[in-house]
Amino acid sequence: MKALTKLIALCALTLSLFVSNNANATTFTFTAIPDEDESQLRTRFEKVALYLEKELGVEVKYIPVKSYSAAVTAFRNNQVQLAWFGGLSGVQARKLVPGSKAIAQGYEDQFFKSYFIAHYSTGLAMSDSFPDISQKTFTFGSKGSTSGRLMPQYYIEQHLEKKPQQAFKRVGFSGDHSRTIAQVQAGAYQVGAVNYKVWESALAAGKIDTNKVKVIWETPAYPDYQWTIRSGVNAQFGEGFADKVQAVLLNMNNPELLKSFPRSSFVNADNKDFEPVLTVAKKIGLID
Amino acid sequence: MPQLQQVKNTHYPLGYWQKVTVLIWLIALLIIPFADIEIVNFDPLLELTLMAQGLMAPDFFATEYLFQAVIQTINFAIIGVCLGLVLGAPLALIYQHPIVSSCCAFFRAIHEIFWALLFLQIFGLSPMTGILAITIPFAATFARVFHDIINQSSDSPLESIDSRADIISRFTYGKIAQVLPQLMAYTRYRFECALRSSAVLGFIGMPTLGFYMETAFRQGNYNEGAALLIIFVTLIGTISYWCPPKLMMVYFIIACLTLVDIPAVDSSLLVRFISQDILPPALVNVGTFAEVQWASLTTWFTDLLVEQAIPGGIATITLALLALAATHVVTLNAHALASRQLWPTPLTWLGQLILLIGRSVPEYILAFIFLMLLGPSMLPAVIALAIHNGCVIAYLAVKQSNAIAPQQMQMSKFNQFNYHIMPNIYPNMMALLFYRFEIIVRETAVFGILGIMTLGFYIDSNFSEIRYSNALVLITCTALLNVAIDILSRRLLKFPKSSQTRC
Repeated sequence: MKALTKLIALCALTLSLFVSNNANATTFTFTAIPDEDESQLRTRFEKVALYLEKELGVEVKYIPVKSYSAAVTAFRNNQVQLAWFGGLSGVQARKLVPGSKAIAQGYEDQFFKSYFIAHYSTGLAMSDSFPDISQKTFTFGSKGSTSGRLMPQYYIEQHLEKKPQQAFKRVGFSGDHSRTIAQVQAGAYQVGAVNYKVWESALAAGKIDTNKVKVIWETPAYPDYQWTIRSGVNAQFGEGFADKVQAVLLNMNNPELLKSFPRSSFVNADNKDFEPVLTVAKKIGLID
Repeated sequence: MPQLQQVKNTHYPLGYWQKVTVLIWLIALLIIPFADIEIVNFDPLLELTLMAQGLMAPDFFATEYLFQAVIQTINFAIIGVCLGLVLGAPLALIYQHPIVSSCCAFFRAIHEIFWALLFLQIFGLSPMTGILAITIPFAATFARVFHDIINQSSDSPLESIDSRADIISRFTYGKIAQVLPQLMAYTRYRFECALRSSAVLGFIGMPTLGFYMETAFRQGNYNEGAALLIIFVTLIGTISYWCPPKLMMVYFIIACLTLVDIPAVDSSLLVRFISQDILPPALVNVGTFAEVQWASLTTWFTDLLVEQAIPGGIATITLALLALAATHVVTLNAHALASRQLWPTPLTWLGQLILLIGRSVPEYILAFIFLMLLGPSMLPAVIALAIHNGCVIAYLAVKQSNAIAPQQMQMSKFNQFNYHIMPNIYPNMMALLFYRFEIIVRETAVFGILGIMTLGFYIDSNFSEIRYSNALVLITCTALLNVAIDILSRRLLKFPKSSQTRC
């Protein structure tokens, strides 16, 4: 027994040598949460880090986060200097760190949209006008999501002229777009709002039974995901650093890297592009 | 003849514990009509098939950096427990002071997740956040339980110690020496709890197993999720093999060495948090006391109370009371399932395995599975809480009931169990249940993050909307609610002083 105990201790000590981490104050750190497929985050984004490191000539590190609010916090606390934010989280972050700039967005993000999806038992079908969904049960995605929460809630309030809590029989937050699809498909909620890209790729992957759940409405286009860089990076990493990062991001054309986000390419962006998101967030009371 | 008549008519009053049991159920039955426990699901079969397939074919290679995640889960738990001991053990000595005990009750009442969400604002995604989130509530729990253990120990060894001995020696040899095995056993049990907490902290971003577990389940990668659950349950089930108490110190040192690097603490963040973030909107940017707009401050507070704290509080209490009754059922059944008094030993191993799974799988994951099965109401949370807590209580109760000597009478095993073992163990079981009630109330918080509208839901919303002042008020409400429930249940129940139960 004693020998066994010693053996365990020895193994533990040896193994501990393999686990090491080091961070550096001069490391340029970024974070990103893709809107679909969050598996193998580090493995995938460390490749992006490697690309940035090669192009920028500074040490680049990726840190994985769990939620948009965690990404905003990390950005605000200068734990990350660059972040791939959703529309809403980007606006929140730039408001908290004045001088921060949106420098690039996904090509698709210039005209993003959300789908409203419904279980077949509701009898609702695709229409161009806002569907009659009052007093149904409804699920958003994650609380901080632009496509799963902010924009759908805005259009609901516009058309039904009520807060979701009053307009629906039950309101839920599934926490994730693929959950929203699964829950509406299972009938747990009658209607839901989902990121159109997640829907399209789940459809392509054969994960959706269109006899059970279908798209009934799509929102008008709005801007969504973008790269935001923190104010003060020029002081920390040298004059013109922000512009350099912008150029490097816009030039990222390796399909494997782009697939992690997943976007077809990155295009120019500006803080002004996201004014609509800020206005909507203020209107529904998510930002004061 | 008249004598026989008398025997027939003898009226047996309900015993104390029978009354308590009836009361729990009466309350639950009264609440049910008002609770949201609707089953709304048309075809859960598709998702269930996927989950079953995942469990059948767990994929142990789908998770990146799996080894690191396991190590960090253990590290947070070990360091959290050790620091909790260092802070909590001295507090146990002055726990009788009302200020100390109420402070501890308050700190204990706040869930690890909320501690972590608060520390996240100050330390960021640093291991400090996770460790402190475990240390603080654990220290408060150690203080209370160690105090109870020491208090309940006998005074007689003190009398045999030379009266000239100094107070420290008297206390050490007269009191501590006597209860040391109990203190050690409790610490070992808390280590298991710390491992669970450590995993749960992954749900909000700490680099532990929970990080990957949450992602896997949320995104429907059940093969990966099943593998992570199996690893986690095995880790908890084999604690006694890989972490014998003697090696605790060795592990502590290894844990400190292999911890993710702690970035330097930026004190300005702490200042900003205290001087800006947690201030109500009406007080930010206010220079002098005279400038304070009392009207807007009052409106802010009233709105928060009426729109969030009160509905959240009601949902929290409803959920907790229903879960209490459901836990009672699960406890009785799970205890019977694994009792050596009822089954031959090999069969009890199976029972023990069920208890291990029931108490190790995080409630969040359990609730998630039942949510897919039963639809979004309070029901999945009730069931998840009942399974988890019922299995914890049953696990502790089985340990006690296995030690009871069977009566030497001609009696079937079934009768023996029901008329000898159960009456013996029941008071302890109920005391554990009520101790666990405090934990049930704080655990309702986790379901808020899953979308069940307890106080935890509103706290989580405020964190995601970056309204820390609101979140802090609601966290305080949660803690006060918990303390109030604790005091109330103690007053109502008046536990016999000698009951030495805790979990």
